[in-house]
Amino acid sequence: MRGIGKSFPGVRALAGVRLDVHAGEVHALLGENGAGKSTLCNVLSGAFGSYEGSVELAGEPVALHSPGHARRLGIGMIHQELTLVPDMSVADNILLGAEPRTRLGRVDARRMRDRAATLLADVGLRLDPRQPVRQCRIAEQQLIELAKALSGDLRVLIMDEPTSALADAEVRRLFAVIRTLTARGVAVVYISHRLEELEEIADTVTVLRDGGYVGTRAMAGADRAELIGMMVGRPLGELYPRPASVAADAPVRLRAERLTLTGDTRTGRTALHDVDVHVRAGEIVGLAGLMGAGRTEVLESVYGAHGPRAVTGRVTLDGVPYRPRSPRWAIRHGLAMVAEDRKAQSLVLGNTVRFNASLAALARFRRYGRVDRRAEGRAVDEQVAALRVRTPGTQAVVGTLSGGNQQKVVLAKCLLTRPSVLLLDEPTRGVDVGAKAEIYAICHRLAEQGTAILMVSSELPELLALCDRIVVLCEGRVTAELDRAEATQERILTAAMARGTVLTRTAAGRTEEEVHDR
Amino acid sequence: MTGDATTATAEGPTRLVGWRRAVSLLGSLQGYIGLVLVLAFGIVTRGGTFLSQSNLTNAVGAFASRGILAVGETLVILTAGIDLSVGSMLGLASMVSAMLLVNQNLPPWVILPACMLCGAVMGLANGIGTTWLRIQPFVMTLATLSVFRGIDRQLSDNVSVGTQVAGADGKLTGNADSFQLFGTPGHNLFTGVVGAGVYYPVLAFVVVCVVGQLALSQTRFGRHVYAVGGNEAAARLSGVNTDRVKIAVFTLCGLLAGFAGPIDAAYSASADPLAGTSYELDAIAAAVIGGASLAGGRGSIVGTFVGALILTLLDNVLGLNAVSDNLQLIIKGCIVVVAVVLQRPDLLRGAADFVRRVARRGAPASTGRSS
Repeated sequence: MRGIGKSFPGVRALAGVRLDVHAGEVHALLGENGAGKSTLCNVLSGAFGSYEGSVELAGEPVALHSPGHARRLGIGMIHQELTLVPDMSVADNILLGAEPRTRLGRVDARRMRDRAATLLADVGLRLDPRQPVRQCRIAEQQLIELAKALSGDLRVLIMDEPTSALADAEVRRLFAVIRTLTARGVAVVYISHRLEELEEIADTVTVLRDGGYVGTRAMAGADRAELIGMMVGRPLGELYPRPASVAADAPVRLRAERLTLTGDTRTGRTALHDVDVHVRAGEIVGLAGLMGAGRTEVLESVYGAHGPRAVTGRVTLDGVPYRPRSPRWAIRHGLAMVAEDRKAQSLVLGNTVRFNASLAALARFRRYGRVDRRAEGRAVDEQVAALRVRTPGTQAVVGTLSGGNQQKVVLAKCLLTRPSVLLLDEPTRGVDVGAKAEIYAICHRLAEQGTAILMVSSELPELLALCDRIVVLCEGRVTAELDRAEATQERILTAAMARGTVLTRTAAGRTEEEVHDR
Repeated sequence: MTGDATTATAEGPTRLVGWRRAVSLLGSLQGYIGLVLVLAFGIVTRGGTFLSQSNLTNAVGAFASRGILAVGETLVILTAGIDLSVGSMLGLASMVSAMLLVNQNLPPWVILPACMLCGAVMGLANGIGTTWLRIQPFVMTLATLSVFRGIDRQLSDNVSVGTQVAGADGKLTGNADSFQLFGTPGHNLFTGVVGAGVYYPVLAFVVVCVVGQLALSQTRFGRHVYAVGGNEAAARLSGVNTDRVKIAVFTLCGLLAGFAGPIDAAYSASADPLAGTSYELDAIAAAVIGGASLAGGRGSIVGTFVGALILTLLDNVLGLNAVSDNLQLIIKGCIVVVAVVLQRPDLLRGAADFVRRVARRGAPASTGRSS
């Protein structure tokens, strides 16, 4: 295989983009959200019936008109959003559309299981192929997607932000799989917002901006500032602004002691065991840990998202005991949460910016039993301007905005409730570099105004730069608490993988581990 | 779509937004287009008869009780639920109203709230089943459709109850006479406006629509209804008590069915044990023609009102033209399909692209928006 040439003149979403991918190379696509990376990949994987320009595969022009056709040509794609059927088994999912059949036309269950087991082994997963996908964790599901893409005779693999849901250790595993693939001569097109990752895995990088082609560089010779400059089209001073330090005697806003949550295998909810966390006014505290360490669960427990019965422990707000009963209760007491999954948990995508932004704060705009639309509009306009949400107007449908701007609408929704404690779960996931910097600036501004911020992130540099203190979780327990001075990536990772020591301590942990290993 | 948003701000925001607004307006206008078409068809084929007061009165009056059901149904559909039991609730409420009148000789102003309460209790049962017991709305209301109808038939012993009760002097009793007002036979649609008397079924329908629309667009409850239907998880995390909203819409739906019951009984001058059978289908059809999405979060009472008018006037026009019942059913079904297809702006956009491409044949073809 020699490569792919391609151009699309005169299309709004994508115009005149060139991309040459060689066999055995990892080619990164970089660009802000809305730059056209996903569109380009969708064209390559045959998701659109028509496009302009030409695609050549191994020197021969090909027309890509359906995902099935692309798959037969050896082009596989892993989408940003997982596309597995939750209630079907792992094997059924991996071989969906390519089920081996017996001579009588029945699905050959045994061959299917064997084939799936081989593919799972290829991606380094030890799972029972008969297990339903619903019971697998997100990271496992991501690797199952990869196994699914491998099921055909693969020549080109396209990965759209495969690591956005993974913690660092799982990213390593994914990279190992990618390296074995490239060694076999597979060409990989790789999209990610994490520059550190690209420096490690990518050979070449192509930058897109506003649907146009900006340039291609060899990854080895590219420096980070130059790439960011190419992406945003303007030089960006420093990605992470310097934080202001907080006085150690500031009052404690939120304190959770012996926070315990019962686990739920059906929904994949991690159990929490005696988690102690506190956040002072004006402080930004980070929660670090691997996938399934219980970071999200800590936020959700405090926010009351799991209901009053599943959570035990003592929570105080400004020293006053508080029982997390429901999100409604939490909001009334000055808490606000930016949930992990923007599309599924935070936004009514089909409705307007204004509807979404004011949803949690409607009580404020109540007048004579109705919503005072003028006051609502003023407040939303103000917040949209303050957060610099780029939208055609507050009546624009949220689903049409880019990821970064959607996230800012979620932030606007939280801020309109005037929270004194802000819980952020992966606030910069799937957000482009420019918007990320703006979100960091917003966090700093809020902290300066005295808001207590508890934040979960899978990106360690982000936590290190932003947080005054970092609490590390592993399997639902706190394994380290590091000040900004003593926190390093290595120490965080060591604490996050302190699984062994935890295991010998309680029997409950061990059974969990066994279940997982099976 | 992400690409569009960036380009919109970069190049020509006003032009693009204006165009988009026009497209979505077209999407919401399709209901009126349908209404205009039906009216035009009626006027062209049966001008005088169709437009006569008595005809319009009959047409709308006959549909009023179903229209009220459709309003409640819309509330439920907006939360991504469905209520199949509205017809049975109406039947039971109409039976209760007739029996209260005949057996207890109660005045209408007592009967009406009693029936509404009765409906609200039934709706509450639906709501509790779908939230606390986590039964899917379709299944829960399919079950209660059967249960409520059974209670209705048990109460009446499968005999219909006439509401025109004569006193000892051979005339209608006072209460029966005033009960008739709910159905108001003999009044005309527009005489009420002029002052000679109000045509209550239609007035009730219009009032229910106005109140419903205001509640949806102006109040916090209305916003919450849209949020629960649009994204339940997001609504819950935004502090909306989603269970309470769902119970509320089911209860309101039952309450409206209870309200429509006496109107239906008075209109037909008797409560039939089978009254209201398959009304739920008309109610759902009206909501859908009016732009409601069964996936929730999209639709309005105004739309449902227009949808109900289309259905009733279409019935009327086809009847006036002596189209057979069988054919009427086929046409009504097709109308639903056409209405739903027209509501999708992306389809209109695709069609527009196609037209443009055909018009510009020879020039390089454009793929349009690839989002």
